[in-house]
Amino acid sequence: MFAALIIGSPKGPNSTSNALGTYLLERLKEKGVSTNKIYIQQVLTSEQGMNTLFRSVGEADIIILASPLYADSHHSGVIAAMELIHRDLKNKPGIKKQMMVAISNSGFPESSHNDPSLAISRRFALECGFEWAGGLALGGGESIGGRPLEEAGGLVRNVKKSLELAAGALARGEKLPEEAIRLMAIPLVPKWLYLLIGNIGWLWRAKKQGCRERLNRRPYRD
Amino acid sequence: MEMKTLILNGERKDESVLSSVHEIIVDTLSLNGWHAETIILREKKIARCTGCFGCWTKTPGACVIDDFGREVARKAAQSDLIIYLTPITFGGYSSELKKAVDRFACPMLLPFFTKIDGEVHHKARYKPLPCLIGIGVLPCHEEETERIFTKLVEKNAINLHSPASQSAVYYSSQNPEQIRGGVRSLLGNVREWVCLPL
Repeated sequence: MFAALIIGSPKGPNSTSNALGTYLLERLKEKGVSTNKIYIQQVLTSEQGMNTLFRSVGEADIIILASPLYADSHHSGVIAAMELIHRDLKNKPGIKKQMMVAISNSGFPESSHNDPSLAISRRFALECGFEWAGGLALGGGESIGGRPLEEAGGLVRNVKKSLELAAGALARGEKLPEEAIRLMAIPLVPKWLYLLIGNIGWLWRAKKQGCRERLNRRPYRD
Repeated sequence: MEMKTLILNGERKDESVLSSVHEIIVDTLSLNGWHAETIILREKKIARCTGCFGCWTKTPGACVIDDFGREVARKAAQSDLIIYLTPITFGGYSSELKKAVDRFACPMLLPFFTKIDGEVHHKARYKPLPCLIGIGVLPCHEEETERIFTKLVEKNAINLHSPASQSAVYYSSQNPEQIRGGVRSLLGNVREWVCLPL
């Protein structure tokens, strides 16, 4: 069995998408699944890169798309890759029916912000002839901040448990269990705390860049 | 008062599924004296968003990438109405339209959080922000795809603090007169939002 992890974040290896996808991939490896990882922002820039992506998708038994939420949907690079994969598959009738899962993470604390993105992933899977095996939605992804889950402590215990359950099911050729979906959707920290830390964090980052006083400027109307 | 409309045309290379709908939209707007500007996004140099948040913490309100993406953000901030026109792609926007949306959505907002109906969103940088209409084109009726598209436009409008929003889906196979009637009725709703004659 072969699983291809496709990372949709433009931050590539430093992204929370990578942290989530890699943890799942490692659990699949432990169950004897061969794996491969592709960063969309790297392969999109060349024909050779896209051919690598097409080949991985074609050979995979399990396709895992791990991507962040950008304006309620996938990043434009992910959509471009989806369009190209869909077009490529049109010319290759009769390939095997891969399973596809998606992991979407949002900077908002509520996991429900990921709903349109997962719905788009599902449509993509169906239109490509893949078997949709389910989606995992994470809110408050900034709390992980791209760290490997092994280094994120108790904060991500439900996330890790979710991905472990997902790996078990996928290795058996099954869809994502409801419990994995439920665990991933549990907020990492209370909403009030996330907002407090988030708002302070933005002020701190702006101060570091020397633009604390200009944070609210309106360059296109003032 | 003249209403400024920005049409973001997300048609992809070697594609011509939007041309007749686009023509109808422009005709309807201009017949009624609205100022409309269209950007054919695939013709412009717009890099993809890198997710650096520099538009919040380095150069607040402007993307750090100096290309046409900045111009889209400027025009969007100065519009009364933005129309997304796109071939519907798996229920969402085309990659061309999304490239532009990714580049202007964050600069239109502040990094700080607020709650809307109990759900967390970012605060608006400008007040008011433009109204939003999403118009998608499909080869034919596809219920689930249309539902996703409608929901996506609705969510975008909430996140962008649009005072009002609408969406519509047309089909390549549809008679132009049917589309014209639909567009006229759609833009008629905007007349109510901004109290202008159409």
